[in-house]
Amino acid sequence: MYEEVTGSLVQSYNICKRQVWLMAHQIIPDQEHPYIEMGRLIDDISYDRDRKKINFENVVIDLVRNDNGNLLVGEIKKSSKAVESARLQLLFYLYKLKQSGIDAKGQLFFPDERKKIDVRLTSESEMEVVSAINEIRDIINMDKAPAFKKIPYCKNCGYKEFCLS
Amino acid sequence: MKKPVYIFSDGELHRKDNTLYFEGENGRKFIPVENTSEIMIFGEISLNKRFLEFISQSEIILHFFNHYGYYIGSFYPREHLNSGYMILKQAENYIDEKKRLFIAQRFVEGAYRNIRQVLKYYQNRGKNLDDIIYAIERLGDLIAGTSDVNELMAIEGNIREYYYKSFDEILGNSDFEFDVRSKRPPKNSLNVLISFGNSLMYTTVLSEVYKTHLDPRIGYLHSTNFRRFTLNLDVSEIFKPIIVDRVIFTVVSKNIIKKDDFDQDAEGLLLKDRAKMAFIEEYENKLKTTINHRSLGNNVSYRRLIRLELYKLEKHLMEEQEYTPFVAQW
Repeated sequence: MYEEVTGSLVQSYNICKRQVWLMAHQIIPDQEHPYIEMGRLIDDISYDRDRKKINFENVVIDLVRNDNGNLLVGEIKKSSKAVESARLQLLFYLYKLKQSGIDAKGQLFFPDERKKIDVRLTSESEMEVVSAINEIRDIINMDKAPAFKKIPYCKNCGYKEFCLS
Repeated sequence: MKKPVYIFSDGELHRKDNTLYFEGENGRKFIPVENTSEIMIFGEISLNKRFLEFISQSEIILHFFNHYGYYIGSFYPREHLNSGYMILKQAENYIDEKKRLFIAQRFVEGAYRNIRQVLKYYQNRGKNLDDIIYAIERLGDLIAGTSDVNELMAIEGNIREYYYKSFDEILGNSDFEFDVRSKRPPKNSLNVLISFGNSLMYTTVLSEVYKTHLDPRIGYLHSTNFRRFTLNLDVSEIFKPIIVDRVIFTVVSKNIIKKDDFDQDAEGLLLKDRAKMAFIEEYENKLKTTINHRSLGNNVSYRRLIRLELYKLEKHLMEEQEYTPFVAQW
């Protein structure tokens, strides 16, 4: 067991299991990759009136806001293309908060698209999170990285050159 | 794309808030932090801790060269990519002698195949290299059967000895005769160019290693003693023939560097700054040259190819994909 499940592992989980394993083993993607630089920048310059980057256990939350007395946590993304994996990531944060007795609402932010999506932790989505966490743990504990499989996502992935070299 | 910055003049390197500048005889010159991958220092420079702190934060490596253009050492900022997993794999492959020999053999094989490719190119252009190619091929056949790294190193040395002899035939320039390989100090102009080019190559590979999860102190062909960088020396072997040596052939045959670009001083031959700069220009151009990469499906530069080579090594250490060295197609 190398490390606890984190938000970025949950996010990768829906896209590429190999990426989950590599990240968990700190084989992080090429930091000069334009999409990674772009992501860093978007995260940096958007919503700068809100509190940013809240560290909570092994979780880093992009944005925290007071929404009429309720706690609202947000995740900022470049595009809504991978909305499903972003949703699962945010659900994971909500789940972690709930475990510590904090009830929060979630919202996905896509500053480029001027779009927001509400995310709620229901009993159904909670099950989804728990099973994802368990499966991520199984992937991390694998001896070797899951074999490379080409998917459309590879085209813009920071691991592209690693996988294809 | 981040680029290396070369400093030839004497002066001081400073940090001012979140920027860097160089102060020399000709005033201030700012160094764009976001666009700088490494700083290559040939002049006499002073710097302070504040500067090193900022350089470290910005993940920029400093490479230092002495008066003669030899590599002295690097300021290698603390590792920013740390993978305990990868370091353990790297060490495991070093400690296990069979595993170490396998990787070392691949490096020598890559060097040999690229050397052969360079010679073949000139053979096709009418140079009389048949005997040398024959001798090198016989030696190349022995690589796979070596039983330890020392034996492998000896074969590599013999290949290089034959290879350097071919330079006279390739260059056909009496101002640049090879004679014997001499280092520290090199005894003739050609040896100065070889040493200078190799120094550049070592730093280029080191800079690429810095961007991976590999520890540069653990090499396979060159023994690790944990005090100096060796992995970059290993990987350089593969690229020296196709990058450094080709740059040498270019600068000599196009008269970019001539006999009078060298000064003799008490300790040895010295390449003038103007010639160093001309060499570096050709070298950087070579690194920027792109070739088509089959599995990636796009063009990659030679500099990028070095990084891909390191990724391949990582995958070998992870027992994913057996490492095969890059061999130039022409």
